[in-house]
Amino acid sequence: MKKCMTLLLCLSLAVAALTGCGSETEKQEGKIGGEMNLYTWDGMFPQEVLSGFEEETGVRINYSNFDYDEDMLAKLEETQGGDYDFVIADDYIIELVIAEGLAQKLDTAKLENYNNLNPVFMSQFYDPDNEYTVPYGAGIPLIVYDPALTDVEITGYEDLWNPALEDNVAITANYRVINGIALKTMGESFNTEDLSVIQAAGDKLLELAPNIRVINDSNTQDYVVSGEVAAAFLYTSQVYTALNARDDLEVVYPSEGLGFGIMAGFIPSDAPNAEAAYAFIDYINRPENAAKCFEYIGYYCTNKAAEEFISEEMKEMIVLPEGVAEGEIIQNISQDAEDLHAEIWNQFKSACD
Amino acid sequence: MMKNRKSNWALLAPMYVFTILFVALPILYMFLLSFLTRAEVWGVDFTFTLDNYKRIGEPLYLNTFVESLKLAFLSTLLVMLIGYPYGYFMARMSAVWKKRMLLLIMIPFWTSALIRLYGWIIVFRTNGVLDKLLMGLHITEEPLKLLYTYPAVVVGMVYSLLPFMILSVYSSAEKLDFTLAEAARDLGASSFKAFWTVSFKLTLPGLLSGVILSFIPSMGLFFIADILGGNKIVLVGSVIQEQLTKGRNQPFAAALSAVLMVLTTLMIRIYRKVTGTSELEGLV
Amino acid sequence: MKTKKWCFVYVGVITAITYIPILVTVVYSFNESKISSVWEGFSLKWYAELFQDRDLREALINSLILAVLSCFFAVIIGTSGALGMYKKKSRLNDAVGYISMLPIMIPEIILGMVFLSVFSLMGLPFGMVTLVIAHTTFCVPYVYSMVKARLVGMDKSLEEAALDLGASGVRVFFDVTLPLIAPAIWSGVMLAFAMSFDDVVISIFVTGPRVNTLPVKIYTKLKTGVTPEINALATLMLAITILLLIGAHLIGKKKNK
Repeated sequence: MKKCMTLLLCLSLAVAALTGCGSETEKQEGKIGGEMNLYTWDGMFPQEVLSGFEEETGVRINYSNFDYDEDMLAKLEETQGGDYDFVIADDYIIELVIAEGLAQKLDTAKLENYNNLNPVFMSQFYDPDNEYTVPYGAGIPLIVYDPALTDVEITGYEDLWNPALEDNVAITANYRVINGIALKTMGESFNTEDLSVIQAAGDKLLELAPNIRVINDSNTQDYVVSGEVAAAFLYTSQVYTALNARDDLEVVYPSEGLGFGIMAGFIPSDAPNAEAAYAFIDYINRPENAAKCFEYIGYYCTNKAAEEFISEEMKEMIVLPEGVAEGEIIQNISQDAEDLHAEIWNQFKSACD
Repeated sequence: MMKNRKSNWALLAPMYVFTILFVALPILYMFLLSFLTRAEVWGVDFTFTLDNYKRIGEPLYLNTFVESLKLAFLSTLLVMLIGYPYGYFMARMSAVWKKRMLLLIMIPFWTSALIRLYGWIIVFRTNGVLDKLLMGLHITEEPLKLLYTYPAVVVGMVYSLLPFMILSVYSSAEKLDFTLAEAARDLGASSFKAFWTVSFKLTLPGLLSGVILSFIPSMGLFFIADILGGNKIVLVGSVIQEQLTKGRNQPFAAALSAVLMVLTTLMIRIYRKVTGTSELEGLV
Repeated sequence: MKTKKWCFVYVGVITAITYIPILVTVVYSFNESKISSVWEGFSLKWYAELFQDRDLREALINSLILAVLSCFFAVIIGTSGALGMYKKKSRLNDAVGYISMLPIMIPEIILGMVFLSVFSLMGLPFGMVTLVIAHTTFCVPYVYSMVKARLVGMDKSLEEAALDLGASGVRVFFDVTLPLIAPAIWSGVMLAFAMSFDDVVISIFVTGPRVNTLPVKIYTKLKTGVTPEINALATLMLAITILLLIGAHLIGKKKNK
């Protein structure tokens, strides 16, 4: 027993030694210093940009993560907008964060690079007057298919219902998005609160069930890349990864209308080191840094000035094509409508089995 | 005598204090939540209601409980059949091999569950390792499409729960004096009879705790079904998760969890009644 | 007593099967492609990325500290609790024993959210302290139930004989009781360590801004996709574990000579 315990301790020490633990925060004159608590999903910034910021400002970044937007909201509620300095999350949750008074107003005068931001992604429903947020990446879920595996020529969501695609479609697991495409095929809005319309879309969605092979939110692109399915409905970064892996795949901008999502950053109301957060926002919005970030995360670039720094082959994937900006964003809807969506979703999932 | 009682309280104190403060209180809070109404944006309003429990009565939600029970039963049964002999044989090995096997069986479980599941995906996927093997041996003619089916989920569940059973059986069989069984055999009992009348009875506590340790988490486990089953089997756990996140409905999620807890407890009580292992009073 | 050959064969086959996904992970850690299901050729680039990732290293260390501490407390609480309840049966003991099992009975996400609220009400600072408390709650059941099962039907006369012979309670514990229950404690620790080292959901809720754990880092690459970097990490840890075990084995052999 004792031996085993010693072994366990040895193991931890060995790993610690091997990987070289050390947290050096140097303080130098003229630098902001201190710590900045960054709170978002993992993998949202290239290490190069994070290190560059630390070197330039002397601020140590503590990068902590959540998985669901709601987990982040729960944490901010409990800490009353404290603990974290800069948060990046999805559009709809930011509307709630602001409504709950958990974000602070931005002083854009402190942001030299504020004008680099692309206005297409600003003044949205969650922050109509751009008082609280800066956009960081946008996405449009698209259909990707393998022409070698199916004869169906896919042009819109409706084609996913084609019986020729039986057991051959992969979709993401966000029910507002998936129920939403059923709504779109009926010419309705993602955000309709009309329960009878939502129910009708639900009935239509059930007919899609025989075609569904897998529902998954993470690495959904793998299924279409490996040939497990012929068609997949993917988030932007997944489309980007899929196309980088196989250029013979076809991308479809569905004819019924596009969905649109924006991620944005804000400073919580009681942030311990707001000054560092401002410096960080400014740093990531320098055109060359922003270009690095968006090439890394594979979302549409929300920084206009950065576009010229993005390499040619990536440009077509992460610079928003003209005219596409008409996409509809999924917003918060009434509780009854939301509940109905959730119920429809569970019925749909069971029907897929 | 007096001294003995005192020392007994010293033994119990950490368990009592810790359990009451950090388990009983949070669970009580969860029960409280289940009788409240959700607030407009976030959190709860302190208005008493039974609606959350009434809603569970809807066929949609009842069905998720049935699905969860079905999967948990099937997984636990298979885990029992595979894990019991393993733990039992392990206990009969020499001291050196016991230690080795104990580590050998645990090492895979020290890597992330997600990584292990991705490993299974590569094995199971169409034209993956298994398909290539089976077709190479001419056992099957075409890809099986095993992934995202019920059997794939069951394999994943059994795989994840196996160590609970093995280690439980092992730690109770390890103290067995195997000479007893041998003596029985020397006296003319068949191998099987010797095992059944002597060894099995004595390892029953280990088997029971193994079943409990596998069954309990299997009721709430859902990420295996999500990943290997392609999200197509709806379990209580995933409904709870959805209600807490997208639905922002803490009270309903709390009510679902409370019912799940009661149901699991009930199953274990019934199991204990049926197997007649009342000496394990207190282990749920 | 000879262990039959087929026992070894059975144990061997099952063990081999449990290693299948691990071996796949090891192989794919050298995969050039970012897509885990497509083999594109041999590459060490994920190892290179791993060594550049400071956050991941820190998270790994945090996870090890967390798992060791949680197991330590779980052993103390679980073992002493099981012993105390074994010595004297009562309804109250049964109830507390039952409650201690609850954390593994409900899905982690609700437990995490409830912990978040309750810890916040208690005024505990989010970070390593809350992580250790939360992890201990779900580590205790493994140690407790293992020890409990081991104690059932155990001969009380040994302990009593030792006490009669004048040994002190503490000595009896360390010389008689502990060796008897050690395999059960060790089994419990093995499971508890694995559960703590792999926990994501509860950790996300109860951690603070400065402490990140490895599984949280791995699972929260939601927006950009999980990369084979984690395969490289798993392989590296597997290699270290095995090297250490071989080392311990060799040292043990030398001593025995």
